[in-house]
Amino acid sequence: MTRRPTIRIAICLAVALVAAGGCVPGALSVSGDPRQMAFPTVAFTPPVPDRIVLDNGLVVYLLEDHELPLVTITATIRTGGWLDPADKVGLAVIAGATMRTGGTQRLGAVELDRELEQMAAVISTGIGTESGSAMLDVLAKDLPRGLRLFADVLMAPAFDPARVELATLQTIEGIRRRQDQPQSIAGREFAKLLYGPEHPYARESTVESVSKITRDDLLDFHTKTVHPNGIILGITGDFEKTTMLALLHETFGGWKKGGVPPIVLPPVVADAARADKTIVRFVGKNTSQTHLRVGHLSVKEDDPDYPALTVLNDILGGSSFRSRLFNDVRTRRGLAYSVGSSFRARVREQGVLAMRAETKVESTQEAIGRLTANLEQLRAQPVSDEELAEAKEAFVNSFVFSFASPSAIVGRLIGLEYDGLPKDFIQQLRDKVVKLTKDDLLTAARKHLHPEQLRILAVGPPSALVPLLSSFGETKEIKLSPEG
Amino acid sequence: MGRLIVTGLLTLWLLLPGSIQAAPGLAERVIEHRLANGLTVLMVERHQAPIVSINLTFGVGGINELTGATGVAHLYEHMAFKGTRTIGTKDYARERPLLDELDRLNAEIETKRAAGAETQELEKLRQAFKDTQGRAEQLVVGNEMSLLYQRHGAVGLNASTGKDVTRYVISLPANRLPLWAAIESDRMANPVLREFYKERAVVMEERRLRTDDSPNGLLYEAFAAAAFQAHPYGAPTIGWASDIRALTPAETERFFRTYYGPANATIGIVGDINPPDVIALIEKTFGRIPAVPTPPPVITAEPEQKGERRVEVEFDAEPIMLIGYHKPALGHPDDFVFDVIESVLSEGVTSRLYHRIVREKRLATAIGAAAGFPGAIAPNLFVISAAPLAPRTTAEVEAAVYEELERLKTEPVPAGELEKVLNNLDANLVRALQSNSGLAGQLAYFQTVAKDWRYVLKSREMTAAVTPQDIQRVARAYFTKANRTVATLVRAPKQPVKREG
Repeated sequence: MTRRPTIRIAICLAVALVAAGGCVPGALSVSGDPRQMAFPTVAFTPPVPDRIVLDNGLVVYLLEDHELPLVTITATIRTGGWLDPADKVGLAVIAGATMRTGGTQRLGAVELDRELEQMAAVISTGIGTESGSAMLDVLAKDLPRGLRLFADVLMAPAFDPARVELATLQTIEGIRRRQDQPQSIAGREFAKLLYGPEHPYARESTVESVSKITRDDLLDFHTKTVHPNGIILGITGDFEKTTMLALLHETFGGWKKGGVPPIVLPPVVADAARADKTIVRFVGKNTSQTHLRVGHLSVKEDDPDYPALTVLNDILGGSSFRSRLFNDVRTRRGLAYSVGSSFRARVREQGVLAMRAETKVESTQEAIGRLTANLEQLRAQPVSDEELAEAKEAFVNSFVFSFASPSAIVGRLIGLEYDGLPKDFIQQLRDKVVKLTKDDLLTAARKHLHPEQLRILAVGPPSALVPLLSSFGETKEIKLSPEG
Repeated sequence: MGRLIVTGLLTLWLLLPGSIQAAPGLAERVIEHRLANGLTVLMVERHQAPIVSINLTFGVGGINELTGATGVAHLYEHMAFKGTRTIGTKDYARERPLLDELDRLNAEIETKRAAGAETQELEKLRQAFKDTQGRAEQLVVGNEMSLLYQRHGAVGLNASTGKDVTRYVISLPANRLPLWAAIESDRMANPVLREFYKERAVVMEERRLRTDDSPNGLLYEAFAAAAFQAHPYGAPTIGWASDIRALTPAETERFFRTYYGPANATIGIVGDINPPDVIALIEKTFGRIPAVPTPPPVITAEPEQKGERRVEVEFDAEPIMLIGYHKPALGHPDDFVFDVIESVLSEGVTSRLYHRIVREKRLATAIGAAAGFPGAIAPNLFVISAAPLAPRTTAEVEAAVYEELERLKTEPVPAGELEKVLNNLDANLVRALQSNSGLAGQLAYFQTVAKDWRYVLKSREMTAAVTPQDIQRVARAYFTKANRTVATLVRAPKQPVKREG
C-alpha cells in the first residue's frame, strides 16, 4: 500500500514550477538542448470510481475500463498479523496462504486449483501485519464463475488439512532459510533493533510458534476476523456496473456482519523507541561486503512534518540518481552499487528513516562515515535552491503516474480509506510539498533527524567488522539461532 | 511459490520465449517504422493516461564478449548514464585532455605493475592519477542526464544487460518525448565515458552484491560455466572479477562503436502518442545518426555435450539445485515444444513438478522450470531449479525430477493438460497489453532477438500446434544424462565463522 514509492506528483498543477524557458506549444517540437526544454504540466482528469456500500457493510469501489476483456477484483481485509498470539506468531501468514490453497466448503482444494488454472484465472490471498488481501484476475467471459469461487475463498475457506500441513512445513523451511541471504538478515534485524523484537512490525515466527498452529486455529482466525463489514472490494476492468452490482448482491448479500476489531498495536518498547546515543549491532557472516542499515524511528504518516521529511529523504537518498547519497557514495567515491535512503511512515505507528549501503568490507568505515555525514549535513545547512526546485519538479511532473491505470486509482483510494486518511491525501501532499521552503526543510531536519542517536546494523565477517564499527558507538554482536 | 527466479540476466524482467506473449488484436495495433540508418521503431497507442513508456533495446550483450573482457557490455551500460559532450560536463573541451591523461596514466601504472616496478614509482604514478581524476571531476555535472529526466517527471528510469540484449527503459509524461529523443539520440551518437574508474569500482560492488554474497547468484554462475565450455553463455554477464578490474575506457568505447549502431537498435514506444508525430520526432533526432557496419557475428558454438557434468558450490546457506539440458535456440521447431514442456512442468500449482514434488511427495519447498537460460538467440538450457524441504536432500529431489522427465518420454501428455497450457498462453497474451512498459519491452525484445516482433503471434500458433508426440520425441532426444549439467549449493564442511577474542 505504498502511496508514495518515489517522490512523485502533480496532475493539473499550475506551471509555476516549470523551469524558465516557457512552454513548448503544440505536439512534439524539437529544440536542440534538452537542458533548455520546458513543457507544460500534462493536463489530465483521471476517472473517478464509484463507491457503494452493501447492507452488510461491504464497501465496493468500481471503475469500468473496457480496453481489454479482463476483470480484476481485490479485497482489502481488516485483519492482520498484529492479532497473532505471542506463542503462535505466524498464524495470520499461514491463514492468509491457506485461505486460497485449502479449498472452499463448496469445492475441494484440488478441484479449486484445477478449475482456476484451466480457465486461466488467478485467485491469491495473503495476510500481512496490518491488513489482509485477496485478488481475482479473470477473463471477462468467466467473471460469474470466477466471482463465485473468489467469494467462497473469502467467506468459506475449508483449510484442507493436507494443505495446512504443507503450508506449515514450507513456513518452517522458510525459517530455516532465513539466514541464507545477507540482505534479508540485515533488513529483519534492523527492524528488531528499531521496534524491539516483540513488536508486530519486527517480530518473527519460529519453528516452535509455527509448530503449535493447528487447523482449528486457522478456522477460528478466519471466523473471528474476516467479515464483510471489514472488507473493501476494488473492481476494475471489463464489466458493466449494474450487472456487477447484481452479481455482488447475489454472492455477498447473504454474508452476515461480524465484530471487526479495531487495529491496536502495542507501543514500541521504551529502549528501542528512544536512545540518547548511537548503537551498533552486527551479525557475523562470511561475506565479501558489509551490508549496512543505518537510521532511526521517525514520524507517522499524518504528522504535519511528513511532507518535509518526504522531500528531505528525496534529497538525501530517496530519489536514486538525483540524491546526495547516490552522488557521493556511489558516483564520486565508487563505494557501493546499492546506496540510498527510505522514509516509510504509516498511520498507526512511528515510521522509519533509514539509509542503506552494501560496500566491500574494507570500506565499511568510510561508507558509514559518509551516510552519517550526509544526514548531519541536512541539519547543518539549508538545502540548495536547485535541490529543492528539482525535488518539487520531479514530484509535480511525475504525479500523473499515480493515476496511470484504473487499478492504481482504485487501489490508492482503498488504501487511504483503510488507513482513515482523506481521499485527496496525495493531492494535499503535493500542494504542501510545492509550498515548502528551504527553512521549512531545515527546521524539520533539526527536529526529526538525529545523527547522534542512530541504529547501525551491519552484516559481515565479524573479525574484520569489530574494529571498523566500534568508533561509531557501543558495538555488540547479534547471535542468530541456527534455525533462524 | 511456484518458480524460483532464474538469475542469469542482470535484468529486471526475465524474458524467455514462451513466458511472454502479446494479444490477438495486437497485430492491428502495432505501427512500425524504419529509418534510413536502420533504426526500427514500434509504436502502440494507449490513451488511458497522458503517459508513455519507452524501451530502447540493442542487440548486444554478454554473448558478444571475448575472453579477458567479460563484463564489458554491462560496464558500457553503466557508462551510458555518464552523459555526452554536452550533458554531464561543464566544459568538454577542457575535460577531454584530462580523460586522455587518465587513460595514459592508467596504462602506465598497469604496465609498470606487471613489470614489477618499485612501490615508490607506482605510488608516484597513482598520486598523479588521483590528482588528474580530481581535476576532471571538477568539470563533471554529476548524473545530469538522470537529473534531467527526473525533473521532467520520469519514472522507472533504468537499464539492464543480458546475454542477448541491452535495454534502456523509461516512462514519461507523454508531452516529454522531445526531451527523451534529444537525450537518447545524443547518447547513441556521442557518449563520453567520464568517471570510468569510479564506475568500474561500482560494478565490482554490484558483482559482490549480486554474485559473491548471493547463494543463487553464485550457483547460477558456476552452473552456466559448467554447462557451456566454449560458448560465451558460459561467462557471467556481469563479468569475472579479474576482467572487470582490467577493463579500460578505450576498450569499452570500442565495444560501443561496434555494437551500438542504429541498425542494431529497436525502440518500443507505448502510450498516449500520435505515431506520425513520433515518427517525425525520431527522424529529426535519431535520423541524424550515421549507419555503422554490421557488427561481427558470434563465432564460437558450443560443442555437443558428451557426458553428465556435476558442480558444487560451497556457501553458508541451505541447499538449492539446478538441472540443465542443452536445447536449441529461439526459432527452432523444438524450441516451441520446450515452451509447452516448461508450462506442463511448472506453470501454476497444478503443474507436474509442483504437484508431484512439492505437494504429493513433499520433497521440495519450491520448484520451477525455465526454457531459455541464460539467453535465447543461441542454443541454451532448459533449467529446473529446486529447493529441498529439509530433511529431504537434493539427491532425492533430483531423482523425483528425473521420474517426471521420464514420464514425458513414455506417456503422451493428455489433451486437458495441453488445453490448459493454451488457455493460459492466450490469457497471458491479453494481460500483456495491460502495461505500457511491458508491451514496449516485448515488442522491442522480439524485434531484436527474432528480427520480427510478430514472433509473439507466430509463437502462439506454433505452440498451439505442438502435439503429445512432439513432446515425447523432444523429451527423449534432449533429456538424457549425457546432455545434463547439475549444480548444487552445499554448506562448507564445518568451519566456524572467525571471531574476535
